[in-house]
Amino acid sequence: MYEPKIIGFLCRWCSYTGADLAGTSRLKSPWNLRAVRVPCSGRVSPELIMRAFDEGADGVLVLGCHIGECHYDNGNHRTAKRMPVLHALMEFAGLEPERLRLDWVSASEGQRFAQIATEFTETVQALGPCKWQQNGLPIHTAEVMEVPDAGVGG
Amino acid sequence: MPYTTQIQDKARELLAGDQVSCVIGYEVGSRGRTRPAFIYDPDDVERLVWNQNCTHNLTTYLQDKLRPDRGQSEEEPRRVAVVVKPCDSRAINVMLAENHFAREQVHVIGVACDGILEGAGFGKATEGVLQARCERCSERTPVVYDTLIGEAPEVETSDEAAFADLADLEAMTPSERAEFWLSQFDRCIRCYACRQVCPMCSCPTCLFERDDSLWVGMRIELNEKRTFHLGRAYHLAGRCVGCDECERVCPMDIPISLLNRKLAKEIEVQFAYRAGEEPVPSPIITILSGEEG
Repeated sequence: MYEPKIIGFLCRWCSYTGADLAGTSRLKSPWNLRAVRVPCSGRVSPELIMRAFDEGADGVLVLGCHIGECHYDNGNHRTAKRMPVLHALMEFAGLEPERLRLDWVSASEGQRFAQIATEFTETVQALGPCKWQQNGLPIHTAEVMEVPDAGVGG
Repeated sequence: MPYTTQIQDKARELLAGDQVSCVIGYEVGSRGRTRPAFIYDPDDVERLVWNQNCTHNLTTYLQDKLRPDRGQSEEEPRRVAVVVKPCDSRAINVMLAENHFAREQVHVIGVACDGILEGAGFGKATEGVLQARCERCSERTPVVYDTLIGEAPEVETSDEAAFADLADLEAMTPSERAEFWLSQFDRCIRCYACRQVCPMCSCPTCLFERDDSLWVGMRIELNEKRTFHLGRAYHLAGRCVGCDECERVCPMDIPISLLNRKLAKEIEVQFAYRAGEEPVPSPIITILSGEEG
């Protein structure tokens, strides 16, 4: 079974704690998601997401606080506005739209975190390996580069 | 041409009355090409022209010309006049919304535009063939001006026509699109001409040219070129006024305007906003309405 590499940008005030809660509550969530703690989902600039795909991520999940609950008052408003635009751009540039997802998880929603992480991992798994990184390599490198059989740990 | 005389008269009046320090306009260069001109002296206004080769977006030079000299008092900011086409005038609105300068610092000489010829700016203008952006353009009167020159021609364009050429790309599968864009970006030599010519690209240090940048690289490699182009398009989302100068100056003929127009379309669909119609900030950088805490 193909195991995708997923980068999760989690807001430290909500989703990161939510992920913690999922762990302490012994809820099962996929290990494919590598959590990156960010101060706010508004911190996740489009360059970070593009960089994640450039470095070989198969999917990027951005989780922030529900609208109205942002620690910085309106940081997630910016995320909510930026992400759909970035989504359209990445799709236009040839990324499968399902590989990028924005959602809201509060600190008390361990269950919701586990559910979203599982759902997203399954979606990306079904799509298979992401071609974004490989496509972006110079042709001569791509030819000689051996594509590893994506096993555990990628 | 009557427009030329009107522009010259206005420029002479502004310079002689010391209302502005510089008039940014067009002149015909020594090889017969129309090019930007900077007029500081009322005796030089004869150089100014208006013709269908005036393709450059002169608002690009505004920030440079308005930057205060060292030691200059802030009470008396610089003032310049600029000749704009309707498309360029939208760029002024975006810059005003972003507080790059104050409205009274710029005397806008707006010209009602008949459209610019294909090949203009390179001395290869074809008579009677308009640039693609002009064929799509429905705005023939500047949206912001202090002096209006000429009368807008009647044109018929539909909203669908504005984004018609995006449809082919949008109909492709993601992998076909990826292939298309990679073959385009592959030609990029990172000369940054697109960035230099853009009136909106005004960061003192560009993110894509910082050697200490953690997330974007400076190499001429396909993935980094892709990041540059997508990143640049993204930074212009909700700000790009569609003057298509980036595409015109690209020495490698990369269809950059497709990216810009895709995002313009997205912004219009999602936020019902068109950059530069009014001097208000782009909705992408403001907070959600009705949700203020």
